[in-house]
Amino acid sequence: MLTAFGRAFKTPDLRRKILFTLAIIAVYRLGAHVPTPGVSYSLIQACQKGAGDANDLLGLANLFSGGALLQLSIFALGIMPYITASIIIQLLTVVIPKFEALKKEGQAGQSKMTQYTRYLTIALAVLQSATFITFAQNPSQLFANPACTNILTDDSIVTILIMVLTMTAGTGLVMWLGELVTDKGVGNGMSILIFTSIAATFPGALWAIQQKEGRWDIFLGIILMGFVIIALVVYVEQSQRRIPVQYAKRMVGRRVYGGTSTYIPLKVNMAGVIPVIFASSLLALPTLLAQFNRKADGSSAGWVQWIDANFAGGDTWEYALTYIALILFFTFFYVSITFNPTEVADNMKKYGGFIPGIRAGRPTAEYLQYVLTRITVPGAIYLALISIIPLIALVLVGANQNFPFGGTSILIIVGVGLETVKQIESQLQQRHYEGFLK
Amino acid sequence: MEAVRIGLQALLVLGGLFLTLLILLHKGKGGGLSDMFGGGMSTSLGGSSVAERNLDRITIAIAVVWFTCVVALGVLDRFAS
Repeated sequence: MLTAFGRAFKTPDLRRKILFTLAIIAVYRLGAHVPTPGVSYSLIQACQKGAGDANDLLGLANLFSGGALLQLSIFALGIMPYITASIIIQLLTVVIPKFEALKKEGQAGQSKMTQYTRYLTIALAVLQSATFITFAQNPSQLFANPACTNILTDDSIVTILIMVLTMTAGTGLVMWLGELVTDKGVGNGMSILIFTSIAATFPGALWAIQQKEGRWDIFLGIILMGFVIIALVVYVEQSQRRIPVQYAKRMVGRRVYGGTSTYIPLKVNMAGVIPVIFASSLLALPTLLAQFNRKADGSSAGWVQWIDANFAGGDTWEYALTYIALILFFTFFYVSITFNPTEVADNMKKYGGFIPGIRAGRPTAEYLQYVLTRITVPGAIYLALISIIPLIALVLVGANQNFPFGGTSILIIVGVGLETVKQIESQLQQRHYEGFLK
Repeated sequence: MEAVRIGLQALLVLGGLFLTLLILLHKGKGGGLSDMFGGGMSTSLGGSSVAERNLDRITIAIAVVWFTCVVALGVLDRFAS
């Protein structure tokens, strides 16, 4: 394993790619700490010192920005607008026929869709930074710290416009950094940047637990538990069912084509982390709604009080149950969007492939659908279980929402890690070297 | 001091606008959501053209100017208070 690392660095091409990726990560982390002009760095530090539990509303966004959001840095929005734009475009392919046609077009259509995603990202960045800066004008709610009254140096309209522009440009820059990594580095740039942000919050979050409890045995126990969870997640992420496919031999002129046997890999967790991301963003909506209808003197409407009691903290069983139900639903929903059995069956039929024992065409599609549904059931349950680990930890050891070992963070960390290692490995194998994974 | 500040702010606004524009001019790489969080297997092929490489250089130059403005404004604010 370690010698493989050494070899990766001895290959000049690969070494350049890895160093490039590390350099981009360094630039990204640096930008995450530079405050936007118009924000007072010392006032923010003072506010964060007395901050209560992280605002639930910002949970996911702050997680993806690696803490940059609450520092109002130039990369405060980070990769979040791009993710939101991707989700919107992805969902629109189901609704808008033109997008569906683009998706079927292959490479050219895909790059057009990427271009739409980029435009949408900038639009969303303007919107989100404006919303966020409006929030920042009244920061006591943002930091959950009543002593915090002001973090801006001055709140004239010009300063605010400059802040919105700077944050938007910062988001664009983050997007470009990600694309540079995809292009010239290793792995998928966007996911590497998300990985970096999440990993950057790990030490702080772990240390916060240690500080709160003041005991080393709990701290070490949690780290140990983290390793066990990571091993489990790796195990499930790697597991797949291989459906054998046999291709018929064809004679074209004097050559023989096909006749190979291969397989379709159906992963247990086909959907990845996306259902969890969907579910958490959806569950943030009721709290957001309540936020706008809350009255300062405590005389809010009944439903607002109910939401505050049951959904704001994230430690009630109503919240956990809704969360699980949403994740189960979105897993099946997303798998059905990304994997279309009819399409796969048609393609196989076109190239003379078949699953042994099953007729080509509709029976194949039905068989694939059957296997897929059965394999997604444990996949969905696994996703739901992993995502409620932070909720359990919240009750047991009083960790905050962003408990490092569980939910979105662990799934993304492991998923991105595996993907990147696989990519480096395939590059190593091109030069007949032993890879990381045996 | 105030003149320097306004100059820097103007430069920051211009830099930010140009930066966003230049970044949007790039050809997007990467293939959507499933590419980001595992799932799809897609390898990007093809190098960048000369136009793209020049665009890269200009973008990096503008980004450096923009970043310097941000830092300079931050330093100014720090010493003003």
